[in-house]
Amino acid sequence: MTATMGDPAAGAGPVEPWDGEREPAQKPEEPSLSAGEWLGRNLFSSPVNALLTAVFSLLVLLVVRGLLNFTFSEERTWRAVKTNMRFLFTHAYPQDQYARIWVCVGAIAVLSGLSVGLLARAGRGISMKKLSMNLMATGGVIALGIVLREPSAIVDDEGVALHRDASAAVGDSFADWLDANAFTVLAVLVLANAALAVWFHLQGTYLRGGPEPRVGHGVLVLASFGVLIVQQYATGEIVRESFVDAMSDRAWWWLAAAVLAGGGAALWSGLGDARRRNTFVPAMYVFFVGAGVMVLSAWVYPWGHYGFLEGEFINEPGRTVAMTTKLPWTVMLVLLVATYELGRVLRAAGAGPRLRVPLNLLWVLTPFVLYWAVLRDPDLDWDHVLSTDLPMALFFAAFGGLVVWFLAHPRIGESGRVVAVVLVAVAALNWVAAYFGWYPMLQKARISFLLLAVVALLAHNFAGDRAQRMKLVAVWVATMAVFHWLVTLVNSPSTVDTPTDALIGGFGITLIVAVFTLLLAFPMGVLLALARTSKLPIFRVLSTVYIEVFRGVPLITVLFFFTLIFNLFLPDNMTLVDIAGATIGFALFSAAYLAENVRGGLQAVRRGQYEASDAVGFTTVQRTLFIVLPQALRVSIPPLVGQVIATFKETSLLAIVGIFDFLRIADKVISAQSEFLGVKREGLLFVSFIYWIFAYNMSKHSQRLEKRLGVGER
Amino acid sequence: MSVSDATTALTEELAARDDMIVCEGVNKWFGDFQALDGITAVIKEREVVVVLGPSGSGKSTWIRCINRLEAHQEGRIVVDGVELTNDLRNIEKIRSEVGMVFQQFNLFPHLTVADNITLAPIWVRKKPKGEAEELARSLLERVGIPEQAEKYPGQLSGGQQQRVALARALALEPRIMLFDEPTSALDPEMIKEVLDVMKELAMSGMTMMVVTHEIGFAREVADRVIFMDDGQIVETGTPEHFFTNPQEERTKLFLSQIL
Repeated sequence: MTATMGDPAAGAGPVEPWDGEREPAQKPEEPSLSAGEWLGRNLFSSPVNALLTAVFSLLVLLVVRGLLNFTFSEERTWRAVKTNMRFLFTHAYPQDQYARIWVCVGAIAVLSGLSVGLLARAGRGISMKKLSMNLMATGGVIALGIVLREPSAIVDDEGVALHRDASAAVGDSFADWLDANAFTVLAVLVLANAALAVWFHLQGTYLRGGPEPRVGHGVLVLASFGVLIVQQYATGEIVRESFVDAMSDRAWWWLAAAVLAGGGAALWSGLGDARRRNTFVPAMYVFFVGAGVMVLSAWVYPWGHYGFLEGEFINEPGRTVAMTTKLPWTVMLVLLVATYELGRVLRAAGAGPRLRVPLNLLWVLTPFVLYWAVLRDPDLDWDHVLSTDLPMALFFAAFGGLVVWFLAHPRIGESGRVVAVVLVAVAALNWVAAYFGWYPMLQKARISFLLLAVVALLAHNFAGDRAQRMKLVAVWVATMAVFHWLVTLVNSPSTVDTPTDALIGGFGITLIVAVFTLLLAFPMGVLLALARTSKLPIFRVLSTVYIEVFRGVPLITVLFFFTLIFNLFLPDNMTLVDIAGATIGFALFSAAYLAENVRGGLQAVRRGQYEASDAVGFTTVQRTLFIVLPQALRVSIPPLVGQVIATFKETSLLAIVGIFDFLRIADKVISAQSEFLGVKREGLLFVSFIYWIFAYNMSKHSQRLEKRLGVGER
Repeated sequence: MSVSDATTALTEELAARDDMIVCEGVNKWFGDFQALDGITAVIKEREVVVVLGPSGSGKSTWIRCINRLEAHQEGRIVVDGVELTNDLRNIEKIRSEVGMVFQQFNLFPHLTVADNITLAPIWVRKKPKGEAEELARSLLERVGIPEQAEKYPGQLSGGQQQRVALARALALEPRIMLFDEPTSALDPEMIKEVLDVMKELAMSGMTMMVVTHEIGFAREVADRVIFMDDGQIVETGTPEHFFTNPQEERTKLFLSQIL
């Protein structure tokens, strides 16, 4: 906002030569600035800065006032959002199966708690100085909002705003005059600020650092602030609350502001300057306290009990929220806190490094399990499972295990390659046969065979002693077990009865599509990037064409293709449901962008790294996996997270291809309900807010990740 | 014993040993520029050869051809009995027998020092993990920095990094070590710590080929000095002979500039 940021010039003492014996000098602690000094140095340090501060704070206040008045206006029907929470988050997922949703949220809470407690290099946490400043700032912002917001209109018994009679409307009170001339007054105040700036400049007061400029400008800024508030109590024809009534109506908000600001101030002054800086609390505890207050408020504060159950609208403003909301959320918070503490205990016991890989694998596996096994509640056909699925899984586990064991022998040499090539040929022929309809066999057998062929090709890269080979076999068997189990689940019909094609809608489908898109797109993107930088022209050309095609086509076209047209190309007995089609479309599209980001990272890996890898005798696969990719991905984290956020937000295009996603519920479904006909703005504002919370957190997380991975680099 | 007698004695002794590196008429071009011009030389087992020459003379290119970081276009290179061709298996075999140390260290920055050293023994030599870690410990001991095992390369000084690079190359238990200007990127006070480790390595009987500008090292440690210019071998001889009694005009000019 102002031009001078950065630290004031630190006192530079005479430079003494380093004699190696002296104690290294302590960096002198800079005392915290008083509020007045801080304002003087940062906001009113020169005539131009003072004027910029005045003008931009006025602009910010105007925008905030507009947003507050929009949000809290009597014309807003927030009940539409409150009533439709279930719709917004899950659409038509049946109420009697809702426990499944909570199991999913619980699983994510448990994993998050464990991961953060166990793996996060928690740093020093948040300093008391920062915490108390943030508390005071939050309290201050709330207080500012309370006074900036316009007063409620006074309504009659039917809820219609009372109008002033004509004589009062043209009254000559100061407030009415101010209402009519508010912007003129504000303009005069800005001009006065400019005049003040010029006057003090001519006096040389800024240079001398005298207090007069900041007092003068401060008074004028406060005056503008006052104009913005007072003006609202005199708006035109509607009769409004008095200032005192308005403030007392907002007593809960005042309480919140007072508790936050007061708590922050107490912390600030209670701890001395040194302790403020040097006392730290884990960031998660701050989060837990915040979340705890929210959950507690659900039990004590009358947020209101709203809902839409069995065709009836529930509308009970004076009560606390429904038991089906507050109880699960309390359980979720308890789970999160408990698993976080468990993670910390495990970490203190030194289990961190060993549990890192299993925990990350669990994160990758969880979306599949939650969607196919928990949300979908598949109805397994046990006869088929025992007669076909299980034997096939066992066969591939055993046969593949043997192949891996054999091919991972350190001295297998040329015969290993021959075996691998034979397997690849058989796998390829299988797919050709599928195209012509020969040898009808289950699709998962084809995929298993293809996986086996790929593993066979790569096995010699991971060859080693007995223990190493045993590990590879175990990985293969585990992969087969998970893969066949998931395919069996996917092939079983769902027992959850929903009126729409999709199992779930609202924010649920938004999250599911975003997660599966990224799970598909990430490996694809990495492979495409490697192909594009490959020495083999066929890979390079294919990858380049793919990337350029998908980057050159609008995303919405891709989505329409995969939801409407793609089915026409499939064999008669196959159809792609909309959600699957849309997910594939998103994944193919994101993969092209992710590939370009990864390619940027690959180019940042220095030539010397390739040479060193070659010189120690790594194969190309080993070099890529162990040396090149880890470095390339690290460099490309910022653009990758940008792409993740973009993909998350782009899922709102699902609304356009006719899927009941988060945005569509707010935009089309709520506004069509008889109770809330045409009510759109509230839903859209709420949806934007939720999107923002998620996107902002991803961005924050990536910043932490960058910092953490930066350790020990270069 | 005169200089020529010493040379004769050495030549006889060397002739009895196995050939480790044989180059015959090696030519290499970068575009139109001929980097190597008819290089013919034999390096024997346990021999320490220092390659000298002005910059751009092809020393680095030659040494990089020996483990095929660069491919030569004409002539023959035979390393430990295996001829370098485009056959991938030969290249992998050669690379696991030939250790290389680079001017810029080229350590893997995302791995700890210990992992830098154990990665290749585990995945290339197929050594069990425990054994590889044991080997890494003893190698770090040998290069004098056992306490740095868990640090990342970025936390070490240049000299320490180069010693880790040496340990990494030695972890493959190579029969030949190539050094491509190992001390050129180091501060003067760190050069000695690296050279000391290299001397110790030479004493232990390793076959070494060293491209360097360290004349002191060449005098003290080298069995033979090869002087290159314009992609050709100009002169070769024992250090005493080479530094005290150079034959070629080009050599004399070079020595007059650096000594």
